[in-house]
Amino acid sequence: MGRVITITSGKGGVGKTTTTANLGTALAMQGGRVAVVDADIGLRNLDVVMGLENRIVYDLVDVVEGRARLRQALIKDKRLPELCLLPAAQTRDKDAVSPEQMTELTNQLRAEFDYVLVDSPAGIEGGFRNAIAGADQVIIVTTPEVSAVRDADRIVGLVEAAEKGPPSLIVNRLKPRLVSRGEMLSVDDVLDLLAITLIGIVPDDETIVTATNRGEAAVYDPQSQAGRAFVHIARRLNGEEVPFPALQDGQGMLERLFGMFGRRRS
Amino acid sequence: MSDLISIKGGRDGLRMRLDDTADWDRLIAQLQEQLTRNRGFFSGARLTLEVGERAMSEEQLAEMLTLMQKHGVEAEALSASARESRSAARAAGLTARPLPRYPEPARESREPPAHEGDALLVARTVRSGQVLRHSGHLTLIGDVNPGGELIAGGSVVVWGRLRGLVHAGALGNAEALVCALELRPTQLRIADQIATTPRGGPHTPEVARIEDGQIVVEPWESFKR
Repeated sequence: MGRVITITSGKGGVGKTTTTANLGTALAMQGGRVAVVDADIGLRNLDVVMGLENRIVYDLVDVVEGRARLRQALIKDKRLPELCLLPAAQTRDKDAVSPEQMTELTNQLRAEFDYVLVDSPAGIEGGFRNAIAGADQVIIVTTPEVSAVRDADRIVGLVEAAEKGPPSLIVNRLKPRLVSRGEMLSVDDVLDLLAITLIGIVPDDETIVTATNRGEAAVYDPQSQAGRAFVHIARRLNGEEVPFPALQDGQGMLERLFGMFGRRRS
Repeated sequence: MSDLISIKGGRDGLRMRLDDTADWDRLIAQLQEQLTRNRGFFSGARLTLEVGERAMSEEQLAEMLTLMQKHGVEAEALSASARESRSAARAAGLTARPLPRYPEPARESREPPAHEGDALLVARTVRSGQVLRHSGHLTLIGDVNPGGELIAGGSVVVWGRLRGLVHAGALGNAEALVCALELRPTQLRIADQIATTPRGGPHTPEVARIEDGQIVVEPWESFKR
């Protein structure tokens, strides 16, 4: 029986979909059978990020409403035969699916895959409730910004109230340079507030933008720092102990020293 | 809190006890006055109504619920010994619970006032969007994150960081205190006074109280002397 993992955030635009696509790809590269599910009904884009948009025939709502069988709606990845996408419907909205239907759907998927990753919509309403309904584990993505962390805190409370167990945290788009200058929340600041288990730190990385626009996961690119971070998270999900590497901030030693002096002066 | 209405809190939530012998119009008038005066305490609250032996019609209950709703209060359940009141509650979509006749000591329990009476101890993190509300004193072992709220009729003690909103003495008690290991609330209210926290400041235990009609905060070390 596979594990159902929901990726959510509260705030929009912090990288849920990119995280889902990259984690799904990384888990499949490591040999797992993986289904990624786009639960953002009405605003689908996991298919775009994975470059599978043009292969969609049936979607999640078709399956739930019985117009298609699950197998018909699942789309195989371009490169990895063990990776499948269940796309969201674009012409419907969140109310098209109930939490019970989502639970049944993820239970069906669980029987055939090792990992079922559910990409949650932003917000705390019906779409979010659907996305966590069938989850065994919840991963919360946040960026090191006060507003995103505040929303993540709200989500932690809701996930706890839904008795989904303590969620894990991914801090996305960290800019080590800004953190070292004291201009961005550090991972410690975020953990201090949220007090949940850290499962990954993903640095801010331009390769994510180019990979996403090409419809290819950044985890394929060995040069991509963010891609490497997602591979690490996938290995941690597989139960491996992977240390958190010190992030390269692209600065010379001298600059860093000046940074320190600068901070001390203030 | 008033002669016809008392409020009690516990782990299972707030209960509002309404005198079962008083004239209906007087009761409604007093309820309106309480809800208005203690807006800070009641706004957003969900509670159980206890109406004792009063037999309420559907119209009376509807009148009461409308008044409460106007003040942001939601009744979840109603306890009554009269069958008529319970069926009115079910008609209004509330959970109806039977209530043994008010035991005699209950009348006494209106006194002493809540701020001297019961206290609630809770051990957890109060996160953004979560509210802890209690009619008496409130002690929290854990942090209050920004966006979280603590509302108490009495004093508030936080063994942790207080970074959300806190309202002590929310039923009008200006003697109430707020203490925290780290007192950095986004907003601090005692009775009808409101203060915000300046940026910076110490990360040491502090106590807030009302002095000469204003909220003052001082370090625990100097307060205790």
